[in-house]
Amino acid sequence: MNTIRNYLDNMFLGLPDTEEVIRAKKELLTMMEDKYNELKDSGKAENEAIGIVISEFGNLDELAETLGIKHALENKSDILQVTYEEAENYIEDKVKTAPKTALGVLLLIMSPVLLLLLLGLKELTNVNAKEDLFIAAGLAVLIAMVAIAVSYFIRFSSKLEKYDYLQETVFELDYKTEQMIRGIMAQNEHSYKSAVSISVAGYILSALPVILTPLIFDIDGLSVISVAVTLTIVAVLTYNLISKSAVNAACTVLLQQGEYSVKSKSNKTLQTVTKVYWLVITAIYLAYSFITFNWAISWIIWPVAGVIFAAIQAIAEQRS
Amino acid sequence: MISSDVIRGYIDTMILYLLLNEPSYGYEISKRIRELTDEKYIIKETTLYSAFKRMEINGHIESFSGSETYGKPRTYYKITEAGKMYYKEKCKEWEITKEVIEKFILREWK
Repeated sequence: MNTIRNYLDNMFLGLPDTEEVIRAKKELLTMMEDKYNELKDSGKAENEAIGIVISEFGNLDELAETLGIKHALENKSDILQVTYEEAENYIEDKVKTAPKTALGVLLLIMSPVLLLLLLGLKELTNVNAKEDLFIAAGLAVLIAMVAIAVSYFIRFSSKLEKYDYLQETVFELDYKTEQMIRGIMAQNEHSYKSAVSISVAGYILSALPVILTPLIFDIDGLSVISVAVTLTIVAVLTYNLISKSAVNAACTVLLQQGEYSVKSKSNKTLQTVTKVYWLVITAIYLAYSFITFNWAISWIIWPVAGVIFAAIQAIAEQRS
Repeated sequence: MISSDVIRGYIDTMILYLLLNEPSYGYEISKRIRELTDEKYIIKETTLYSAFKRMEINGHIESFSGSETYGKPRTYYKITEAGKMYYKEKCKEWEITKEVIEKFILREWK
């Protein structure tokens, strides 16, 4: 029954809320429900009943004149239509590139790990090797990992570039396509939810090494190494989360939910702010880390920036 | 399957016929059309609703809200005097139409 209601909502999407239109929708729904109930009573399966009701619904164009929505219907067809194939390709490409994007993120998060380990070991062993050597080796690896990650991002973002419009413009799906996407999303829901809960629990636990090591040992070197451990845990969790949430992320974009809702898309300011915000955060992170060499602490900017971003988004949504 | 072009001019007639004896509502009308025509014609919901609206504007039917046994509120339609007149005219028109078209229908192929 919800399917029928969704179908009708979809057909009426974007039409003016005049009394006439509302009455038409209500009465059409009643007729469809009556038909559905009788088909069900006559022993038809749910899906079959829904299929018959929808195939016999007709076309809203027939009502254009009587409802005074001719203009609205014409405008409606100006809205970009995303086809079944496009939607399918998008999900497929997203799923294909997800492990690589995830690997890029993993490299990025782990890039300071070796540097931290070397610095920690140096403190612990008190070897008289030149500190510069440790730093140079660690830095070289750090820069190499960042470079690989960035080249990954560039490669995959250019591959997915053709789908950018899905995230930026308002579009419409036909009924069949929307059902297909909802189906995929539902099928994937379990694996997505468990990945999210594992990650959230993991993120919380990942803070333990950083918090506990100084309390227990009070050795500088170990504290630095504990940061490396935490970063590694975070990196693995993030890798898992990104690769497991690809399907869900693609479906969210296609169904225009959350930050891709029609409402958010029409909020251009938020879009610009988002882009600028993350660039500024990245600049601050790099500048601070390289100037002070406080890699053991500077990563804190990421979780903090994430929470602040959520707050900005909430405020922006309320304003619009 | 029949062409909806031909039928379009007589949808109002079909609905008026079904309303001659008693008021009825959307689904019941569509169901009776289906049954009477042995499922040769299945009226689409949008076609039916636009016919209701058109006929209301023309004054051939009137709508009122009522509830059925299940207590679900429904819009009922009843035929007006003008609707009865119009129905009679359409019946006459069909007789002539039928006669005219008949002249052009070949029944036996040589």
